[in-house]
Amino acid sequence: MTKTEQLACHECDLLVALPELSEGQKAVCPRCGYLLTRRVKNAQSRLAALSSGALLFLGLSVFFPFLSFTVQGNEREVTLLQSIYSIGDEIFLSVAIFLFLTTILIPAVFLTGMLYVLLSVKNKQLFPYTSKVLYGLFMLLPWDMSEIFLVGILVSFVKIATLADISFGLSFISYTLFILCLAATLMTLDKFQIWQWVKYRDERNGNIL
Amino acid sequence: MGIFCSEKVIEMNQYENHHITASAKQLYSCHVCLTLNSFDEDHCINCGAKLHSRNKNSMQNTIALLVTSIILYVPANTLPIMYTQYLGEKTASTILGGVITLWSQGSYPIALIIFIASVLVPIAKILALSWLCYSVVTNKGYSFKKNHRLYRLTEFIGRWSMVDVFVVAILVALIQMGTFMSVHPGEAALAFGALVITTMIAAITFDSRLIWEPVNKKPDFEGEMVDG
Ligand SMILES: [Zn+2]
Ligand SMILES: [Zn+2]
Repeated sequence: MTKTEQLACHECDLLVALPELSEGQKAVCPRCGYLLTRRVKNAQSRLAALSSGALLFLGLSVFFPFLSFTVQGNEREVTLLQSIYSIGDEIFLSVAIFLFLTTILIPAVFLTGMLYVLLSVKNKQLFPYTSKVLYGLFMLLPWDMSEIFLVGILVSFVKIATLADISFGLSFISYTLFILCLAATLMTLDKFQIWQWVKYRDERNGNIL
Repeated sequence: MGIFCSEKVIEMNQYENHHITASAKQLYSCHVCLTLNSFDEDHCINCGAKLHSRNKNSMQNTIALLVTSIILYVPANTLPIMYTQYLGEKTASTILGGVITLWSQGSYPIALIIFIASVLVPIAKILALSWLCYSVVTNKGYSFKKNHRLYRLTEFIGRWSMVDVFVVAILVALIQMGTFMSVHPGEAALAFGALVITTMIAAITFDSRLIWEPVNKKPDFEGEMVDG
């Protein structure tokens, strides 16, 4: 599958003849240092396991208490969704929508799309729209802000730690696990390699899109 | 940095010394699937996406977005980001005010995180992108490698300015005890969200390959290309 291929560095357009890489190796652009591609061991099954794990944990984190806050005997418990939409009064609706998109919907769509592409590549024939889905995945990537949300939670804890007792719910643990799985997915994912899979699956079946 | 078999390194270095870019060889790299296409193609032979070598209007769009973010930076840092109501008394706090409070409470690391993410990062990002646009427009060499690192750093850190908006959202959700104690979002949260979005789009719109344009035009350019 790894035949020698030319590619232009995405960042500086330098033409690079990609050497044949074996598992565990990576190639960087000699001019600008951009990571061109890397070969991770068992990349397909790893990606499938990690992204389904991430999706599962994200799904679970919606159902249980997320955080709770106790001050002078008054307790307030919020779910993940509440912690996002409580801000959304009047003019802040757009902020709430933005938070919902960047912390839940975009990661969920990304992970689902990833699984779709992986299944499609495993399948005898590519599923419809595989290339389009893969294209969309890389467009979505910068807009996933789940890890920033997690840091935001930790900062708020420090801010109010002196005022009240705060505790983490089951959903919080689940959300943290989701972020860890997502980070591992992104570390395994390689744009060039995943496109090679789609490309060669296509050629084998003789249907160039 | 990279791990190559030794003979493959030589192969790559040949390209490096001549600075042959894809466009110099009349090739377009598909921005979607990274496949090389010849100039004659309108659509990628692999994925069918529309091809263009340099992002059209990249520079104008980036500059327009930068101007917008400079304008947004002012309300984002001067308007209150949240209102705290405590025993019927309502106080407004700006980002900088929050940082000072945290600092005076002794939470130095958190104060620093917020200060860097909310105050320094957006302005650094705006300055970095402006500098890159200036370098490209004036077509001066400077250090391509350093400019390039700057670009990648910009792309990476920009999203983190969002952290304070998340903090406000969580505080608003958690602290709702009526008149005893409650937190409400301030207008700066809106400005901040918009600021992060515009700077992110500005970085995405900026075509990083333009940084290398002067080198491509003069293949024998004596820039600082190789470290060793
Ligand atoms: Zn490069
Ligand atoms: Zn393509």
